[in-house]
Amino acid sequence: MTGAALWRVSAGPAWVTVRAVTSKDAGDPTAAEIATAFAEGRDAGLSAAYRRWSGLVFTLALRSLGSRADAEDVTQQVFVAAWRGRGTFDPDHGDLGAWITGITRHCIADRFAVRQRDVRKAEAAVRLADGGAAPQVVDEAVVDRVVIADELARIDDPRRTILRLAFYEDRTHPQIAEQLGLPLGTVKSHIRRGLLQLRDRLREVSGDDARR
Amino acid sequence: MHVDEEQLARWAVEGDAPDPAAADHLRSCDRCQAELDELRRVSDLAHSLPSMEQPSDEVWTRITGELDSTEQVGPERRFRSRTLAAAAAVAAVAGAGIGVGATLVATDEETPATPTAIRLEPLAGKSGTGSAGIVQVSGAEELKVSASGLAAGPGFYEVWLINTDGKRMVSLGVLNPQAGGTFQIPTGATAQGYRIVDISLEPEDGNPEHSHDSLIRGTLPS
Repeated sequence: MTGAALWRVSAGPAWVTVRAVTSKDAGDPTAAEIATAFAEGRDAGLSAAYRRWSGLVFTLALRSLGSRADAEDVTQQVFVAAWRGRGTFDPDHGDLGAWITGITRHCIADRFAVRQRDVRKAEAAVRLADGGAAPQVVDEAVVDRVVIADELARIDDPRRTILRLAFYEDRTHPQIAEQLGLPLGTVKSHIRRGLLQLRDRLREVSGDDARR
Repeated sequence: MHVDEEQLARWAVEGDAPDPAAADHLRSCDRCQAELDELRRVSDLAHSLPSMEQPSDEVWTRITGELDSTEQVGPERRFRSRTLAAAAAVAAVAGAGIGVGATLVATDEETPATPTAIRLEPLAGKSGTGSAGIVQVSGAEELKVSASGLAAGPGFYEVWLINTDGKRMVSLGVLNPQAGGTFQIPTGATAQGYRIVDISLEPEDGNPEHSHDSLIRGTLPS
């Protein structure tokens, strides 16, 4: 069982006659396929999970901690912890991305705690005063923004392009319609459904966090 | 009768106020009001999204190294570093593709020269022509595409990069046939063989697959 099996594409006629191909064929197994391989302890499951969620984990850590070095440390911790703890992950009752996001929160919170301890040590050397600052917690809005950005990048076109224009570039709906040469009604409909899609993803992830 | 969620989404993103009857319902229905509030929050968050970033390749090496040194040795559990290294190479390329999307700078601003521009020729029975060229933008590769005379039809035009192995392709985004567009290329993709630029006509059917309806095509030099 190697990684190849997970994203092997079926042999088909040469490209000259274009087959129906999706981005999945371009090398992306579905989240469910990754979760199954991961839970079964297959190497390909880990590498596929890393490929699929390392950007989310790293971006979340980077936005929370503000340091690339710390964010890379956290990314390492998260995937090592996830792999070692894969026995506690049940692919039938949980979403691997949400589960990994939960581990990421914990690792970031640990990193905050370490920083605070270091600060207290430094302060203690100066004055033996109260070190009672409240523990820093992971900012929920940061988590939600990263989860949304990650999901948006996976939405199929033309919706992805439309949402990127609307959200990243703050274009109005008529501007988007003009830029992409699409009817205004189509643009609006994609934005509404895209918003619902992003909301659904956010619910999945925060629902899992609540259970942890 | 609760409010349809697409209607709620419309109020959340388009800023128009619910009609009087709906406003009445929202006042008395916690569920619909909560859902509207939730959608407004998602819309607000979505207007200040971070750009997704990738850790350096070294992180994956560190992960496999740490697991390699501690995982139990056994026929099933033994970590195969070579497999993982190969998978990591794939991961590095495709991972970069996570953020793939049109960079959406289809403006008429001055753009850098495109020395590698190629012509896109119509496929048998199709019409239209175009050009595509790679531009280096702060270390990353972008594909600048223009087209003219494309067959009109219901739907939209999509830019793809097909691998010369004939088995894989990635979507780069939606092309406006009048304005052209510039699209991010996943890091390392052209070196991996994703060199055939393909523009297809895609029906608005919600199916993300390539429609089979390729119009014009050309191959970037290796």
